[in-house]
Amino acid sequence: MADSYPTIAQCAVITTALKVLLFPAYKSTDFEVHRNWLAVTYSLPIQNWYYERTSEWTLDYPPFFAYFEWLLSQLARYVDPAILEINNLNYDHWKVVYFQRASVIGSEMMLVYALHRFVQSSPSTSKSAANAVAISILLSPALLIIDHIHFQYNGFLYGILVLSLVLARKQSTVLLSGLSFAVLLCFKHIYLYLAPAYVFYLLRVYCLSQKSILRIRFGNCLKLATGLGLTLGAAFGPFLYLGQIDQVLNRLFPFSRGLCHAYWAPNVWAMYSFLDKVLLFGETLNEPIQSV
Amino acid sequence: MSSPRKSRKKKKEDASHTASAASNNVLVTNNKSSAAHPAFPLVSVLWPARRSTSQWVTIPLILIVVGLFRWTAGFWGYSGFNVPPLFGDFEAQRHWMEVTIHLPISQWYFYDLEYWGLDYPPLTAYHSWLLGNIGSFINPKWFALTSSRGFEDQLLKVYMRATVLVSEYLTYIPAVIILNRALASHRGVPKWESTIALLAILMQPSTILIDYAHFQYNTVMLGFVLASLASIMAGRHLWACVLFVASLCFKQMALYYTPAVAAYLMGISLAPRPSMSRFMAIAAVTLLSFAVFFAPLVLGSLYDAHRGISPTPGLKTPLPPLLVSSLPSSLSRDSFLYSALLQLTQSIHRIFPFARGIFEDKVANFWCALHTFHKLTPYSKPMIQQISLLITLASILPASMLISSFPRRELVPWAMASSAWGFFMCSFQVHEKSVLLPLLPMTIMLGADGGLGSEIRAWVGWANMLGVWTLFPLLKRDELRVPYAVLSLLWAYLLSLPPTSWSLYLGPQPRNGGLRPATRVLHLAFYVVMIAWHGLEAFVKTPEGKPDLWVVLNVLVGAAGFGICYLWCTWQLILKSGILDEHFRFRARVEADKTKKKQ
Repeated sequence: MADSYPTIAQCAVITTALKVLLFPAYKSTDFEVHRNWLAVTYSLPIQNWYYERTSEWTLDYPPFFAYFEWLLSQLARYVDPAILEINNLNYDHWKVVYFQRASVIGSEMMLVYALHRFVQSSPSTSKSAANAVAISILLSPALLIIDHIHFQYNGFLYGILVLSLVLARKQSTVLLSGLSFAVLLCFKHIYLYLAPAYVFYLLRVYCLSQKSILRIRFGNCLKLATGLGLTLGAAFGPFLYLGQIDQVLNRLFPFSRGLCHAYWAPNVWAMYSFLDKVLLFGETLNEPIQSV
Repeated sequence: MSSPRKSRKKKKEDASHTASAASNNVLVTNNKSSAAHPAFPLVSVLWPARRSTSQWVTIPLILIVVGLFRWTAGFWGYSGFNVPPLFGDFEAQRHWMEVTIHLPISQWYFYDLEYWGLDYPPLTAYHSWLLGNIGSFINPKWFALTSSRGFEDQLLKVYMRATVLVSEYLTYIPAVIILNRALASHRGVPKWESTIALLAILMQPSTILIDYAHFQYNTVMLGFVLASLASIMAGRHLWACVLFVASLCFKQMALYYTPAVAAYLMGISLAPRPSMSRFMAIAAVTLLSFAVFFAPLVLGSLYDAHRGISPTPGLKTPLPPLLVSSLPSSLSRDSFLYSALLQLTQSIHRIFPFARGIFEDKVANFWCALHTFHKLTPYSKPMIQQISLLITLASILPASMLISSFPRRELVPWAMASSAWGFFMCSFQVHEKSVLLPLLPMTIMLGADGGLGSEIRAWVGWANMLGVWTLFPLLKRDELRVPYAVLSLLWAYLLSLPPTSWSLYLGPQPRNGGLRPATRVLHLAFYVVMIAWHGLEAFVKTPEGKPDLWVVLNVLVGAAGFGICYLWCTWQLILKSGILDEHFRFRARVEADKTKKKQ
């Protein structure tokens, strides 16, 4: 391993130091979002999680994330019980700030582990390149700013994603790759963006025979279906049982919010909205003349 | 893009007997696999650059990374945050900006001396004036006269932190880079290893914590000192004078180095041949520099006197302090000479407050340690002042005498370190923050030949960890415990020092230039005590009637450690000066004779 320095672990130590120093930095409303979810999952029974509306930041991530917040809340109880009161809106004592920011750093160890596996599983001729790639992901400024300043939990989710990609490298672990992606989807459904790629990849590599695209490998299909069923069952099962699946889907896919977010993402709908505004403006200029 | 290894010019005499014969090659350790790998994490960090990466790539990256750590340290609290009525150092600096931009120059050293009166030399005042003017562009309320006292605003904090960053990057950073390069090329240290040392120096925890967290502008003064040292390394002695005077005129604490620098300059005027012209040139340039730096103050006050503005409006013009008894009675208060004299004496009186006690707060030096066991209160102030002066002079004597007898440029940092430790230990009104001064010349030696080897890395690392540990009580008051822990542990991790790694002391020692057992035991004992102290301080209540017990313990341990640092630096100076060469050669001859006789 002569050329694989600095190691992922060393970079993790150094960046952790920087991230701890970022504790008092600016935090967005997302901080309160997650504090609220800690409170909701701790203080309320599971049947109220997707109905609770005391705070405007309602639970809108899939159930695995809710379970994750519940786990964190068990620790939060020992740090400061005031974190877990539902009506304690916008609570930002240093204890809750340190706790939540530390939980982001802690959960990011998943990413560190996944990147370590990524480097390990790379062919030896490209180990140093793989190391460089892994470090640039770990040190990514966007990830640092979003996760450790703005406040979100993307680090460990990307860790699961990287792990799933690593598992896809070998034929023997393709099933695990698919299932870990399913787990990821049950944490944060935004990864649906990547789902088509996984669907077609698993279809071709796992469900259909390697030699001929026309031969279906039923054993594998069964395994995949069972695995997916178990994963989705673990996530959505309780809510299916409680008959709340409509509400959950409503929360996950809030189409009522409209095409564009308050802050436009640089995509096609933004261009559409912009064109819309331009045309509207043009129309208001036209009107006085027409009314004459 | 140069080749990574230059030929190394090593003096033959250094080979056998100097304790620091550790070669700088102790960066890669070859274990059974016979592949080279880094000796400590900082080497790993720069590992990709070890072939032929250009300095134009590595240096900017290093500056950005250390800048990130500095800026994030600034997110935390500062001295005196939310502590009326006086607040702290942050408010003091802000207040000086307020005073200098609103008041005429002759009033700067007189205005409201009870509330953070100006007590640094004029360059700090000019610096504050500049920053105050720029800040007033952004928001005049920050520096409005009187009404902005204790002003606490998020944007003001950002502005002030930014001024520290910019001031440092304009003075300290270039000086460190140039000096580091000079030290490396002096003895053929490879560029890559020099860059590693640079990163270690720039991540020094105590500097970042004091300047960027607690809030001060020490790095400007330290930058001038290093620039002066770099000039000495380049043989430009007149520039060294100017820059050193600049550092003195920015913060008077640079006096800690004066004996060493002055002795060196004296030494080079006398050796190899006494050169009157050189001496005169040095003296003249020094005096001229002082004159130039004090000129705006003096000329400004003359101009104010001409306009009829008094230094103390509403009160009678005061007598020049310090000269009260010796003022010629014929000097009238209206004469120009009087105003100039008044300003000069007042500024010096503010800069050297002998009226204050021998120590203000608890600081890890000799006097505080003595006071713990033998109270100093019954002694009269002048007597203590005189004793302190004598002891301080005694402590700096070895360094000054050695450097003036052996005025070699590579010895100057050691002389400065020894002199600064002497001052720190024995002098008057020492602040804990002044530990930055002795630590600086020690830390830059990481970039010299053998700097990253076991011996120097261990001693410099130990001194720095001890230094930042003695700053803990101060940092705790500013709610800076987290940055303290992060920055000091990170630095220890990068250099493989305790408590993150014990391998330097407990691991296998390299064959040539490892640590002596005595050193290992000494340092380990101190590290264990430091860690145990933190445990006690955090979890154990002090016994009744002794609320400062932990702080006092900190002071005692610190004083002992710093005393040892003083001895070590002086010893290094003695060894490297070669004054004991004769003795070692004699000893070696005796040993050789003995073995011959046995055969």
